[in-house]
Amino acid sequence: MFLRLLIESFRRQRRRKLLAALAILLGTTAVTAMLAIGTSVGDRINQQLSAYGANIVVYPSADTLEVRVGGIDIRPAAAGAYLQESDLTRIKTIFWANSVEDISPELPVTVTAQAGESAKSLPAVGYWFHHTMKVGTESYTMGAPQIHPWWRLRGQWPQDGALDQVAVGSALASELHLQPGSTVMLNGQAARVTGIVSAGDATDRTLLAPLALAQHWTGHPGAVRRVLVSALTKPEDALARKNPATLSPRMRDRWYCSPYANSIAYQIREAIPHSRAEQIRRIAQGEGTILSRISGLMWLIAAASLVAAGLAVSASMMTSVVERRQEIGLMRALGATGATIASLFFSEAAVLAIGGGLLGFACGSLLARHIGMQVFGSAIPIEPVILPLTLLLATAVAAGGTAPSLWRAVRVEPATVLREEA
Amino acid sequence: MSRSRRGLSAAKLLLRSLTFNRGRTAAELAALLVSAAAATALLTLYLSIDAKLHREFRAFGANIIVTAKSAAQPLPADALTRVRHTLPNGALAVPYAYAVAQTSNGASIVVVGTELPMARRINSWWQIAGNLPPGTQPAAALVGVRAQRALGADRFALTYNGEVLDLQTAATLTTGDAEDSRVYLPLAAMEAWTGVGPSTIEVDGSGDAASIQALIKRLQVALPDARIHPVHQLVEAEAGVVTRTRSLIFSSLLLISLTVAICVLATLTAAVLERRRDFAIMKALGASGARVGAIFFLETLTLAGLGAVGGYGIGSGIASLIGRYNFHTSIAPIASVALQVLVLNLTVALLAAAFPLETLRRMEPASLLRGE
Repeated sequence: MFLRLLIESFRRQRRRKLLAALAILLGTTAVTAMLAIGTSVGDRINQQLSAYGANIVVYPSADTLEVRVGGIDIRPAAAGAYLQESDLTRIKTIFWANSVEDISPELPVTVTAQAGESAKSLPAVGYWFHHTMKVGTESYTMGAPQIHPWWRLRGQWPQDGALDQVAVGSALASELHLQPGSTVMLNGQAARVTGIVSAGDATDRTLLAPLALAQHWTGHPGAVRRVLVSALTKPEDALARKNPATLSPRMRDRWYCSPYANSIAYQIREAIPHSRAEQIRRIAQGEGTILSRISGLMWLIAAASLVAAGLAVSASMMTSVVERRQEIGLMRALGATGATIASLFFSEAAVLAIGGGLLGFACGSLLARHIGMQVFGSAIPIEPVILPLTLLLATAVAAGGTAPSLWRAVRVEPATVLREEA
Repeated sequence: MSRSRRGLSAAKLLLRSLTFNRGRTAAELAALLVSAAAATALLTLYLSIDAKLHREFRAFGANIIVTAKSAAQPLPADALTRVRHTLPNGALAVPYAYAVAQTSNGASIVVVGTELPMARRINSWWQIAGNLPPGTQPAAALVGVRAQRALGADRFALTYNGEVLDLQTAATLTTGDAEDSRVYLPLAAMEAWTGVGPSTIEVDGSGDAASIQALIKRLQVALPDARIHPVHQLVEAEAGVVTRTRSLIFSSLLLISLTVAICVLATLTAAVLERRRDFAIMKALGASGARVGAIFFLETLTLAGLGAVGGYGIGSGIASLIGRYNFHTSIAPIASVALQVLVLNLTVALLAAAFPLETLRRMEPASLLRGE
């Protein structure tokens, strides 16, 4: 009998039910999409922030001081210690290897350029250019162009490992009248200029050589002066700032297993012998600030949307009960108890909530995908946990909207309500 | 019947009808309040997010660098004053003078003279252990952690061009970058010791790419002999993140406004339909369809107006709370949003009233009263 009442109610009031279901559908669509955006915006923005380049630097622990003015290392080539290029693959074997997006080794060196009669000393830096790094079965393409996405190139990058190709910083190129395709004599050997780089910083006044060529010039095969690493990290919190040596074993594990810039640097230090790795605070801290602001903002917007959608949906549920006061009065007059009526109305609300909610979840997922493609160029994944969450919310909101008007409708004398209509 | 009496009776009618079924009025008003509040909060956020985010991006420090045209010559002596005169209020400019000195064991070390408190403000990521040396104490220095390890002691001597300066570490600096290998001195002490003046001025201009470009143009006019360029690394990434965040908020704005508006539409439509008997009775008593329609419209519009006013207040409050909680500065209400929200609410209300009224108008009062 109860089931029949329920079915009849849906059959007879198709338009009203459709309206209520539409409200729930839209509400859950909005909530699903907002929750999906809220949960994934951190990752998306983090990927955007990798445009800032490296946030971790690795250098030899026995190194002398950097003598870097205006972005150019002017330390004599003989001074200081080196890291081994062959050790760099180990960075891709640390616990947070998947967070490491790019690795870019550097080897600064001074070369003599022959321009006509006069010789000129030029600062040069050896880099990887689209270097293929093989770790186990995976291979990655890494190097300076990837870690410095703001570098603009006219021409081509030198072949990685080539000994007769260089790229030239834009300021240096105009000083030496070099074009892509020109040839320049460097340390007595001819090298072809493949491209002109404008970076907007000191790099504009340097030569950019393949790492192998720079190693050839210094006479240290396999040597690397420092390594820039770009990793997706989690904003720093109180735990991140702790010194792992002072933590209890449990807290230390938690510190180690969180992708903080500090703990990734720590793992790199463990992986590469005789190295020091540190977060580049300017980038790491700035990224942390921006990341927490934007994800905080989107969470707050998602929460506000949730409340707004909830209130709007429960308002439409409320009116749909108010307009059925006479029906309630009639049921009461025919002897139905308050509990029976309540269970009928709540079942109706639940059916609407689950039906509308399922459909809304599907629409919301599609919408989130679409927004992700539009804004970030990649779809936003839907966490499966959002489905039960939205269904639960939809049911709660539908029941919450039904309850107050139902409560009032049940308490009114049936006769009063029915007479109102007579 | 005089005009004033008719006006009075219409107002009375409106008041009666709104207060007669308080539950229904409350539900309608609540829905309209929510729609106005959600639209206000999101619109206010959307309109003020640019400024807020650009301010947050100053966590990355200076985005404009002023240097001498050639590395050999210093900037003019009054360069800093000219830069500061050109900058808008609140933007920072910090001078740096660089020299390579020798430690007692002959190693090279970069010494930087700057206004230390300003440098600390512009470089918010500087992790400083100890107290910054006051500008009046020439023998105290801020020493990078790598430099400190290399120097080995808190008291050390540096030589530049044969001039020896005895220094003491007042604080150590950690940045993870080139600064770690340097010694920072107050600018005056640096100039007295080496005679080297500032060769670089870092400026943090807040704003979008266009306003940074405009600022660079103004600086170029003020300092025609200097090279002034943006830090591409910062300016480009910043533009990318701000644009994406803004479009994300815009999507949310559309999505939520639409959802809430349609829910409101459903609520109001139901409420008007429910009153078809009132409509029928009025018509049966001789009121014209237009007159009855006007009363219904007036009623809905009154609620929509009230909802817009209240919702604007609530929404501005929510935006301000979000600003204070997330950005630690409040987001001010925007007056033009009030008008947009009012128009939105009135449109939704008009649509909500128009649909069912059109249906009702076509029906005979008698059949309505019979409950058909």
